[in-house]
Amino acid sequence: MWRAVAGGRRRLLLRPLSAAAGAALRPEPPPRVAGAVRRGCAAAGGAGALRAAAARFQAADAVLPEFNIDFVVALLRQENAKDICVIQLPPEIKYCNYFIIVSGSSTRHLHAMAHYMLKMYKHRKEESDPHTQIEGKETDDWLCIDFGSIVIHFMLPETREVYELEKLWTLGSYDDQLAQMTPLSLPEDFIFGLPPNSNDHPETRT
Amino acid sequence: SITGACRAIQKLTRVRVVDNSALGNTPYHRPPKCIHVYNKTGVGKVGDKILLAIKGEKKKALIVGHKMPGPTMTPRFDSNNVVLIEDNGNPVGTRIKTPIPYILRQKEGEFSKVLAIARNFV
Repeated sequence: MWRAVAGGRRRLLLRPLSAAAGAALRPEPPPRVAGAVRRGCAAAGGAGALRAAAARFQAADAVLPEFNIDFVVALLRQENAKDICVIQLPPEIKYCNYFIIVSGSSTRHLHAMAHYMLKMYKHRKEESDPHTQIEGKETDDWLCIDFGSIVIHFMLPETREVYELEKLWTLGSYDDQLAQMTPLSLPEDFIFGLPPNSNDHPETRT
Repeated sequence: SITGACRAIQKLTRVRVVDNSALGNTPYHRPPKCIHVYNKTGVGKVGDKILLAIKGEKKKALIVGHKMPGPTMTPRFDSNNVVLIEDNGNPVGTRIKTPIPYILRQKEGEFSKVLAIARNFV
């Protein structure tokens, strides 16, 4: 199953390895890039930028291209991921630098994308960053991978509608779901430092 | 009466559900209680999964903060906070207003989803 689905990708990976050490790894061959559908909110250019990047990498003489945000978005486009949404978080939120949300067409599509991202990550980063795991393998609608400075969420479109992560991370405090949450108020007999009254249980506070 | 914080979260501790799920926020005459801790020791710390009894139903949950002081330079909360989770790991609620500690990120386990729906970090 893996071999049949990933036949094209295996060939893609093996080709640069079998070639001489001078040929650097390229993200994907230019003809396939030109044919695929372009979508997404990231600022990375189209096939022209990738070809230019490939030329630069060839000149760099077997230096592996870094696993950064442009590479991730290029991979996602290659995978026919729908609605790629890349949100750059400010450094005050010390969570990550880039937050990516991706939709897939089916559960198998999500799993395939996630496993392919992990495979490419392991292929590029050998030494510095710790291992990452795919979270949500038992679920069928939401998977996520956390690489240090980049977090990728693979969801089905219905799940995406329910959680609305883009709204939360772009609007911050002005998110409408947060506003609809009933505001938690301190109980009337709350005095800072003293233990609360025994009659006050969290479930009676609405 | 409420006893002081002895060990973090174990069987029969009353917990506070902090996400905006319907199950966690509708009032009930009994507080949600832990009935099992999925841990080698029966004591749950931040990042452990527990089984809760809410409104007569069993639901899994993830501990995001407890009253007991933990390792140095980790936050200590005034209430035992918990986020409801399905059996497959998806959170039941869609937003979390209370602060969530950063140490969840370094821990081994599936916490990225809970961190994705959280608003404030500590």
